[in-house]
Amino acid sequence: MTIAKYWNKFTRRRIWVRNLVQIFFFALIALISVNHTLAESGKGIPFLSSASLHALCPFGGVVTIYQYAVSGTFVQKIHESAFILMIVGFILAILFGPVFCGWICPFGSIQEWFGRLGKKIFKRRYNRFIPAKFDRWLRYLRYLVLAWIVYMTAASGSLVFAEFDPYFTLFNLWSSEIAIGGLIILVVTLAGSLFVERPWCKYACPYGAVLGVSNLFRIFRIRRVAGTCKLDGACDIYCPMNIKVSDKTIVRDHQCISCLECTSEARCPAAGTVDFVAGAK
Amino acid sequence: MKLTAKPLAVILFVILFGSIIFTTAMNWWQTESQKVPATFTEGEAAGEYNPADIRGSYTFQDIENSFKVPVEDLAKAFAIPADRDAAAYAIKDLETLYAVQAEAGTEIGTGSVRYFTALYTGLPYELVEETFLPAPAVELLKSKATLTVEQLAYLEAHSIALEVPMTTLTQVPTEEVKLEEENTDTILKGKTTFQELLDWGVSPEFIVSTIGAAIPAPGVKVKDYCTEANLNFEEIKVVLQAEIDRLNP
Repeated sequence: MTIAKYWNKFTRRRIWVRNLVQIFFFALIALISVNHTLAESGKGIPFLSSASLHALCPFGGVVTIYQYAVSGTFVQKIHESAFILMIVGFILAILFGPVFCGWICPFGSIQEWFGRLGKKIFKRRYNRFIPAKFDRWLRYLRYLVLAWIVYMTAASGSLVFAEFDPYFTLFNLWSSEIAIGGLIILVVTLAGSLFVERPWCKYACPYGAVLGVSNLFRIFRIRRVAGTCKLDGACDIYCPMNIKVSDKTIVRDHQCISCLECTSEARCPAAGTVDFVAGAK
Repeated sequence: MKLTAKPLAVILFVILFGSIIFTTAMNWWQTESQKVPATFTEGEAAGEYNPADIRGSYTFQDIENSFKVPVEDLAKAFAIPADRDAAAYAIKDLETLYAVQAEAGTEIGTGSVRYFTALYTGLPYELVEETFLPAPAVELLKSKATLTVEQLAYLEAHSIALEVPMTTLTQVPTEEVKLEEENTDTILKGKTTFQELLDWGVSPEFIVSTIGAAIPAPGVKVKDYCTEANLNFEEIKVVLQAEIDRLNP
């Protein structure tokens, strides 16, 4: 197959630029994480950050809010950079919704990539294994996870989530810093991605829970024009978060990750029917 | 206003990396600890650095910079191998040095350094978990810090004897070794220290009741203390010597 054919296949009816952005951030975080390990032994790569992943995780900023408000200090292992990234994440969320989840988060990306294998195996059954009546309630689990982490971090003053964080584990598999809890959750999540798209994002991600709230008031929204909609359900089928877009005018679901896969630019066959627009009501 | 994927990608990069560049220029972007602990905001120690905020990434030099605890004392207290640069020694590396103790449930790590620093400097510190110290650290605190009876008892109960060959450890100054050798008799003299009283078995409670105050730094001579505290050394000496004789017939 020629490069042109690969490119055509890659860009065919999907938001390919999102995939490039995902690959970029995955590679960037992986390189920084490797460099962090190398730098500890004095062999770091020049001109590349050697920051720890905790310093580059916006959720670190979220869990340290309480301590910062009370004592003016950060939770151990968290630094100013995480706080700044948290603020940037909030700005992006107010503008575009949880676009961090859909475009930037490397752990969301790797789940998607595992999911592609699952799609090849299970075809149209993929991402439809969990009955809707259970799935609906399971989606709120991530808020419990968020509440537990915020409380435990505030109570202990330490980064309790680091022991269970699959994202941190993924990029520290070669180091001695990983915990068995994180490793188990990582393996379960990646295995689960073969059956369900983005299982961690849907059911457990505490940062996704925070950003998900922005779907209620974000400026740019997914809008469906009922008049031109063919009701073919393409938007529903291709939504990684199983949101039923076809029965909505405006998507306000707390699980939307602004991936744009449902839009007329990608899967919707009717031009100008599902778009990402500002000020839609 | 409609937005498509490509402009969205560009906006994401601009906002994200623009923020990082801007905050870096403003010197706000920090990806590692400044190695400066938080300060107490209230109480007698207000404005002083808080030992509870010491992080595992700090080196002994960072501790000296903030708390004025000499690197040499830290190296001796935590028995850092002589071939290591004590100033650049990261506190988190104690977990590796004391891996055996950690497995035995007597972890010596960042919490130990925090407690040691607090006792050494006399700064407030609330023990939130059981904290162990290597025996050299306990001995050093006894000789240099002002400890309460409770603190002394806690240290005695949480002192971990080291099984590491002494040749790999920081050398103990020879004067101290000599001092221990010279005072094997149990006669209270002008140069007798509170530490020697304790070593001879006199209980901290008895000393406290005799001098009417908390035990000062154990390395302080009893006579010097009495002079400074306007106590009659001869009277104190008689009482203490009687107790020493009773304990060491």
